[in-house]
Amino acid sequence: MEVGRLPISASLRGKLISAGYTTFASLSSLSHSDLARDLKIPESEALEILKAASLNCGLDKPDKSNVIVNGAQTAWEMLHEEQSFPRITTSSSDLDNILGGGINCKEVTEIGGLPGIGKTQMGIQLAVNVQIPVDLGGLGGKAVYVDTEGSFMVERALQIAKASIVEMSNYTELLKKKNRVCQVDIQPTDILDNIFYFRICTYTEQIALINYLDKFILEHKDVKIVIVDSVTFHFRQDFEDLALRTRLLGGMALKLMNLAKKYNLAVVIFNQATTKYVEGSFQLSLALGDSWSHCCTNRVILHWNGDERNAYLDKSPSLRSASASFSVTSEGIRNSASNHKRIKLM
Amino acid sequence: MTPENLLTRPPIADKLTLGCPVLDRCLGGGVPCCSITELVAESSCGKTQFCLQLALSAQLPPSHGGLSASSLYLHTEFPFPFRRLHQLSQAFRSSRPHLVAINPCEDVYVDSVHDAYQMLDIMPKIESFIESAKTRLPVRLIVIDSIAALFRTEFNNTPLDLKRRSSLFFKISGKLKSLANRFRVAVVVTNQVVDFMGESDGVNGVKVGNFGSLHSSGRRVCPALGLAWANCVNSRVFLSRNEVVVAEGNSNELEDGLCRQTKRRLDILFAPHLPQASCEFVITQQGVFGVVSANR
Repeated sequence: MEVGRLPISASLRGKLISAGYTTFASLSSLSHSDLARDLKIPESEALEILKAASLNCGLDKPDKSNVIVNGAQTAWEMLHEEQSFPRITTSSSDLDNILGGGINCKEVTEIGGLPGIGKTQMGIQLAVNVQIPVDLGGLGGKAVYVDTEGSFMVERALQIAKASIVEMSNYTELLKKKNRVCQVDIQPTDILDNIFYFRICTYTEQIALINYLDKFILEHKDVKIVIVDSVTFHFRQDFEDLALRTRLLGGMALKLMNLAKKYNLAVVIFNQATTKYVEGSFQLSLALGDSWSHCCTNRVILHWNGDERNAYLDKSPSLRSASASFSVTSEGIRNSASNHKRIKLM
Repeated sequence: MTPENLLTRPPIADKLTLGCPVLDRCLGGGVPCCSITELVAESSCGKTQFCLQLALSAQLPPSHGGLSASSLYLHTEFPFPFRRLHQLSQAFRSSRPHLVAINPCEDVYVDSVHDAYQMLDIMPKIESFIESAKTRLPVRLIVIDSIAALFRTEFNNTPLDLKRRSSLFFKISGKLKSLANRFRVAVVVTNQVVDFMGESDGVNGVKVGNFGSLHSSGRRVCPALGLAWANCVNSRVFLSRNEVVVAEGNSNELEDGLCRQTKRRLDILFAPHLPQASCEFVITQQGVFGVVSANR
């Protein structure tokens, strides 16, 4: 059999065969950590086996490439990785539920809605929640907040941060009762310090900044969320060349997507609601046109349902469309207090 | 400009008092700097009174809720109410003689603007005016009274014209916000209302902010300039007046035996730092003052 030809020790070969690996093909899409686990050998030895196997493959079958492609992953690996990364909570469990647990890293989530619906509130809440320590189920990360409209109010951020600290302390008390020690000794100003705040006043500044973020995050690897509030504002002015606008927006979306994947962080961009002239009447939709709506992985629309704030998951690669209610309180985003709330699946 | 310079500390927005603690409480301390606050109301509700009062309060020192600043007042409609400003400034000065200059009117710079394109044209002049700092006190309040009048004429109700109009909104708002951020200025803009036409009014019926429908003088109204402009301001405050039945049977009664009074109200429609709040107010010779109502 093929593995018999590998230049490895007999005992290793024996382990390989008894575990069921007899051909090079069976080894070709395996990661060394999985192989090590399977054979109960140290990872370094597994790596050696795979290296030898790929070398051999290269020699034997020059036209067929069974070589492990640099950087490629199997779907299993990706699922494993995905599950090991906690999502960023929105502080409303109903909202988290329709989002599959919260805002996901490695993805771009677009959140849009009318003025006053709570976009900036959501942005500040996420910038605070990304900092929840790992011991308490969070990411223990920092946030980049790109403010294009001047809506970020320090007093509100401090208010939300303070409420978050109280919640964390309460949770810590609960953990202490179960003998798990975890200290929450943080001040609201500390939370504010962990939000890297950028103020943008023109569309050229916006593009320059998004280009610069790659370098910035390289130097600040603990950033786990990038929030752009809002991505729309500076692009709704007159662009004589509409094709230019589409190109700029597309370039921006691509850069944000790459940031998310490369640094394993969440990107949340806020969009404004506008009217679209469709079939002789005006309808509500999100700004920036049709081509933009393809750029984001997930899309959430915030809207009013009577007197209640609702979030509707409009687009997601893995979750079904659903709607949940939430409220904006003095503490930030929370579950809606209504008795009739329920998650509506569509 | 390098991208690195865009990283700043978020500004702690100084607040400009409205001149009355009851009103200030509603607004979380006053009108914030570095953002655009819009006052929406139908005519004669008190928008201009608020603006004149703010232009005077700006001159107070920060210890008294002011900004130790002068104001730039851009008016777009009727002649500027010089006499009323003078009357208010006298009352203002007499209650705080040690805190303001002999003639507070001198620290209010007034100019008129006629249309949106002219507004855009004068932005660089405004910027250099503030930057040059040739005024006795730095300019830290800009009032535009009213923004709706700038778009009165020359825009028809066709999709193309509306689109042209809305891109002007974003241009003007973008420049104002840039000024607000750069010079830590509070920008106050007044806007009018239009009647709500009913079901056929489409998007105008959409709930923007804390109230599903707004009422003034017994009619349902909506802020002018539509949804696009609503996206251009940071905070929106609604002033209204309504006739309210106060008591029954009285010597000044009307035919139906009820006594009516005009009540004025201020409502927070949306603001990134404020919960929904409202407050009753009155307009007197001395100015605008909030009223703590005994019953709601």
